[in-house]
Amino acid sequence: MKRNTLLTAFMIIVFLVPCGISVAASDTVVIGLQGPITGPWAYEGEMAKQSCETAAKLINDKGGILGGKMVEVRVVDDAGEPRTGALAATKLVGQKDVVASVSTYGSSICEPASNIYEKYKKVNIGYGVTAVSLTQRGFKYFFRTCGRDDSQGKFFADYVPKKFNAKRIAIMHDNTSFGKGLAEVTQSSLEPQVTSGAVEIVYYDAITPGEKDFHVTLTKLRETKPDVWYFTGYYAEAALLVTQAREIGIECVFVGGNAAINDEFVKIAGVDLAKGCYMTNEPLPGDLPYDKAKEFLAAYKAAYGEIPSSPWPIYAADALNIIAYVIDKTGSTDSTVLAEYLRNDVNGVPGITGPIGFTEQGDREGVPFFMYVVDETGKIVISK
Amino acid sequence: MDGETGTKPGRFMDAKKGFLAAVVVAFIVYPFLVSNYYIDIAFFFGIYALLGLSLNIVLGEVGLFDLGHAGFYAIGAYTTAILNTKFGIPVLLLLPVSACAAALFAYIVCSPIIHLRGDYLLIVTIGMAEIIRLGLINNPFGLTGGPNGVYGIDFPAIGNLLVIDSSVEFYFFIWIVVVLSILGLIRLQHSRIGRAWNYIREDELAAGASGIDVRGYKLLAFVLGAALAGVAGNIYVAKLMVVSPESFTFWESCLMFCIVLIGGMGSIPGVIIGAGFISLFPEIFRPFAMYRMLIFGGVMIAMMIFRPGGAWPRKRGTAGLVSRSVITEDIHD
Amino acid sequence: MQVVIEQLINGLTIGSFYALIALGYSLVYGILKLINFAHGDFFALGSYIGYTFLVVASALFTSQVGLWGGIAAAMVIAALCLAIVGIGVERVAYRPIYATGRLPAVVSALGASIFLQNTIMVIWGPRFQAYPAAMIPNIHLNIYGINISVLQIMILVLSFLLLAVLYYVIQKTTFGASIRATALDRDTAALMGIDIKKVILFIFTMGPGLGAMTGVMVGMYYRQISFTMGWNYGLKAFTATILGGIGNLPGAMFGGLILGVLEMLGATCISAAWKDVFVFIILITVLIFRPTGLFGEKTAEKV
Repeated sequence: MKRNTLLTAFMIIVFLVPCGISVAASDTVVIGLQGPITGPWAYEGEMAKQSCETAAKLINDKGGILGGKMVEVRVVDDAGEPRTGALAATKLVGQKDVVASVSTYGSSICEPASNIYEKYKKVNIGYGVTAVSLTQRGFKYFFRTCGRDDSQGKFFADYVPKKFNAKRIAIMHDNTSFGKGLAEVTQSSLEPQVTSGAVEIVYYDAITPGEKDFHVTLTKLRETKPDVWYFTGYYAEAALLVTQAREIGIECVFVGGNAAINDEFVKIAGVDLAKGCYMTNEPLPGDLPYDKAKEFLAAYKAAYGEIPSSPWPIYAADALNIIAYVIDKTGSTDSTVLAEYLRNDVNGVPGITGPIGFTEQGDREGVPFFMYVVDETGKIVISK
Repeated sequence: MDGETGTKPGRFMDAKKGFLAAVVVAFIVYPFLVSNYYIDIAFFFGIYALLGLSLNIVLGEVGLFDLGHAGFYAIGAYTTAILNTKFGIPVLLLLPVSACAAALFAYIVCSPIIHLRGDYLLIVTIGMAEIIRLGLINNPFGLTGGPNGVYGIDFPAIGNLLVIDSSVEFYFFIWIVVVLSILGLIRLQHSRIGRAWNYIREDELAAGASGIDVRGYKLLAFVLGAALAGVAGNIYVAKLMVVSPESFTFWESCLMFCIVLIGGMGSIPGVIIGAGFISLFPEIFRPFAMYRMLIFGGVMIAMMIFRPGGAWPRKRGTAGLVSRSVITEDIHD
Repeated sequence: MQVVIEQLINGLTIGSFYALIALGYSLVYGILKLINFAHGDFFALGSYIGYTFLVVASALFTSQVGLWGGIAAAMVIAALCLAIVGIGVERVAYRPIYATGRLPAVVSALGASIFLQNTIMVIWGPRFQAYPAAMIPNIHLNIYGINISVLQIMILVLSFLLLAVLYYVIQKTTFGASIRATALDRDTAALMGIDIKKVILFIFTMGPGLGAMTGVMVGMYYRQISFTMGWNYGLKAFTATILGGIGNLPGAMFGGLILGVLEMLGATCISAAWKDVFVFIILITVLIFRPTGLFGEKTAEKV
């Protein structure tokens, strides 16, 4: 009987705990933020969280929206994996007071997550998701404030072979939606130069994310003697690849895609190896010329000591801002109304990353690209 | 003394029946009292219960060391995902199909290795599960979507009449399946097959000498265990609408192993409790943030020190947990 | 040809990591029949302790000699710390369970593994940490066209040294004989007058200690460490142990080396993505034809 009493007690506790937790009713407008707070991209996730909180604070300091209601950011961790991404989306969708969500970083996480938001008809705006396929599904509730891989691939094809006088190009990706997607558009953007014989793609293969030891793959790469090596994956692997590549004598120029190089990359690879690495990227926070950017960065720096080292957190802030803006303008928290307004009536609204507008499919209009390089001191600057 | 289905009359039986009734009522009423998030947690509790029951057949009843059960779970899940997204076959119809796919896989793959002893079987099961998982990640023939997995799976439905698409409906779906499985497994326990399984667990050589087809019964256990895991895979995928290789790691197999051990090998109520522990514990201790997994690990160790037989040990048979002389222990690996 | 030798060196480097960890694993496994899932986390913890030491000490060591001294000190300190942790884990998580059987011990080991892993996360944080680049020798040599780094040479030399010393101790000394006897049959060994407590002390200091030193080497070789790094290495070590034969200590060493070379072969000949599949298929094939591992297991069979 003693065991049964114990079990009964256990079950009662399990039963009552969730019942006891009440939902806070409040005078706030809740906007969800889904991001990789833990996991392989915790660095990006943390910055995105801080960005959104800074943006929300700026809004609240100016009096809030909808006649004085404060904006509250509700953060849900999706750990950078598709499965937990789906769970995080389910969680935000299930919370009735969340009006819309800023979600997420990582195209492969965004795929299932945005699927769920769409099924439950909730507005979600991606901030670190550049795979072209995401806006080709005919979704009504998905938008993104960041750019797309085809612009980046085109930029690479237009700029890189000329700049580095490169004839032999190696493209390496990591089999994720984003990495593979970017590699594919780069390859097709290079098509005209390949057919004319100006350029040859000598290596096109993938590494497995999460792996640590690339010596064998890199030895294979070395034997193809590339002039330029383009890696379209994420920064954790990029750092390992560069360190191991230099060890075994790969001397060629390393160009990373826009997820490959940030301060974490420089820290892991060490300044000695990181310097001289290039990157195709959207404008970094420090290089944004807009007034709203200066205001935001000043507030962020005041709160956290330094500005974000990658563009994605800024897109997250812009996503939050535009949601708040549209809620205020339409006076509504109804998802369909918001989605309609975002698609049709948001044109050139001043944002931190420039004027914000969305295409019919939900893409951000007009995102520029630059070539960045890691300089002698380990800082990432626009290359001349 | 047969303690399962109660041949003992009197007050004890009434108390037990009452307890059971209370549990059933609590389960039925629960989803109407809490928010979607907590219903989902209870859903995953159900999935783990089903997985625990499936591993219990192999590990609990027959005593075979299986640390690769997540592989069968994955086969069931991906069968459903691929056949549904590529060919539009309804999810509900795919439930028996996934079970069969997993069972067939188990049959083919386990036949050559079923004779391995103890730890060698263990490493082979681990290897099998890893091969499956890595195969899924590498996206052969473009079927499995690689590390991103497959997404866009439909809700289970029978035409427009019965559509399971809300948290509450999924909750009842999984638990009805669990209850049906429990009923089936209890019947098995009391049958010839169940007795043969337990005999093999207790003393394989003697069982063989008594005329039991040891190899056949072992294979049967794997096949049934795989089938049930395949069912769990189907329901899991229907709920999540997306499947990725991340859900089927070696760690998942370890969790299932723990469910059976912590609950009590061969004990059905034990397995349910074990599943509850594994799935609910991290949730309940969420407020402890970073420390909750520390506590989880500590509790696991404590459970084994203080209740090595499990939370609700199987009453019949010793289930290999009583200390035996070292000589037989070494050889009975 | 040079590429082949380079790849072989790569394979042997990884293999020696596996061999060292597998040896520690096998010591516990062979003698206590306990699958110590926490062993991978001993390795990870050692790596982190080495990292902390190097970060703290990097200011003190400025010359090259100092660099090597720093690395040696890091390894020794990590090994000592882990020896203590190893004994602690044994006392808390394993000793109470010896009598109750093997399977509860597996769960306890898993619990210990979760506990250690999360302790690392609580102390050092969930993000990657990077071994300080200044403390890692970054010299590369080119001998007859073969690229090899000083670090690789150091790892190979050190690993083989450690393995050779342990091989000698286990196979040639009296104490080694007592370890092997205990692995064969614990009760009879005790009856023969062997001090089981000493043997257990040895395996729970030596094993984690070796793991810790390997952890520091891995930290330097790959530079990036995370609190989940132990899990994968633990699994590979277990695989190597079985490949070599349960309870066969030299077998575990060779199993580890063979595993590393097999991985390399799989990655070069087939593809990096399928290398682990290749390794497991080889393992399963070996076990089908040699059910007690490559080098065999030394136990009697009850008839």
